Amino acid sequence: MSGTVSTDDLVAWIRAFRDAVHQHKDELTRLDSEIGDADHGSNMTRGLDAVVAKLDPAPANAADLFKTVGMTLVSSVGGASGPLYGTFFLRMGPALSSGDVDATALGTALRAGVEGVVARGKAELGDKTMIDALSPALDAWDAAVAEGADAAGAARAAADAAARGRDATEPLVARKGRASYLGERSAGHLDPGATSATLLLEALRDTLADAA
Amino acid sequence: MIGLVAVSHSRALADAAVELALQMGGENPPTVRVAAGGPDGDLGTDAVAIAAAIDEADSGDGVLVLMDLGSAILSAETAVEFVAEPDRVRLSPAPFIEGLVAAVVTAAGGADLAAVAAECATAGDAKRRQLGEDDGAGVSASGTGEAAASFEAVVTNPSGLHARPAATFVKTASRYDADVRIADLDAGSEEISGRSLLALMALGVRQGSRVRVSATGPEAPAALAELRALIEDGFGER
Repeated sequence: MSGTVSTDDLVAWIRAFRDAVHQHKDELTRLDSEIGDADHGSNMTRGLDAVVAKLDPAPANAADLFKTVGMTLVSSVGGASGPLYGTFFLRMGPALSSGDVDATALGTALRAGVEGVVARGKAELGDKTMIDALSPALDAWDAAVAEGADAAGAARAAADAAARGRDATEPLVARKGRASYLGERSAGHLDPGATSATLLLEALRDTLADAA
Repeated sequence: MIGLVAVSHSRALADAAVELALQMGGENPPTVRVAAGGPDGDLGTDAVAIAAAIDEADSGDGVLVLMDLGSAILSAETAVEFVAEPDRVRLSPAPFIEGLVAAVVTAAGGADLAAVAAECATAGDAKRRQLGEDDGAGVSASGTGEAAASFEAVVTNPSGLHARPAATFVKTASRYDADVRIADLDAGSEEISGRSLLALMALGVRQGSRVRVSATGPEAPAALAELRALIEDGFGER
């Protein structure tokens, strides 16, 4: 492969994320019914369906793509994942405004996105949120790039780290969002947001593996 | 006058809360826009709709946004990124209902954005005081050293200074360039600001109670004259 990620690849990533969320819709809703308001699966599928409807014709570049994705999510998800995932993509766009997208540039954009989510949700590592998947995924991405990995390799490392982060949310007591009202009772369940965030990175891994 | 935006997961909840608050807005209430409910009319919030509501509510004096919980807060914060004049938008930490009521009354009284936001920020205190869990919050320090003019009068309203007469009192007091204060003499209360609806409601002045209203500032005499007439007239409730 060339080492660069095309806009078509990024569009394919978003489509793959939509497909993955559809596939796991019932699981996300079940997880959310255990510690939240039981709408994560339906909200995310609704939001991502609205996103995919706006990707034809495909946006001209990565910045336009992520602006469209972000604005559509903040408007059509309905729950807290709307402003959180929406902010993630809205922050990614400007970080990719110029030049080719390689593993370093994509990592920088992902970090801008996650920093946006942290600023929006005020969550820290260990609060039992999507940050518990996203934050270790970014660190794994950067470590892989530092060792010479291309984007596909970095995405593989990031997806693995996200899944470990997701699994580690199970014993945690939630400190953010609806689940925090449950206190100790939120322990013993995977966090729905960390679960969908892992799907996001697994979709990127699969898309870039196919593109290679 | 500043504008208000009510953000809720539920359209029905927001509409009812706004109706409740506007009952106390008098003849000239502030503009209140609702941004509530999810994309399909279900429970949820929409940052783009909130941004549009903020722009509609802004007449140039700014907008205070009241929110219920969870994604309403996240969506409102996101919406500020999309509005035309983000510097004129404040998000209130007040509880939704209490905050809306306080915002409508103080905005109708002509208070600016900072003053309305400050009043709303203590909107949760009134209930705490009424339930006897007073921690002293919201009772502002009295007196500036300047000699205050004052009068004493007996409240004749059957329910005392309940919400509606209290709102009338606050709106009237807020119209004058004067620091108006009121104390319930029978209850031996501290003086509280006559511009704070929630503090006044928390005072819980009952029918037959004697109050002392005092004021300092350039328009103190006029403020006291009108407030005295209001109390003696039973706020028009008779």
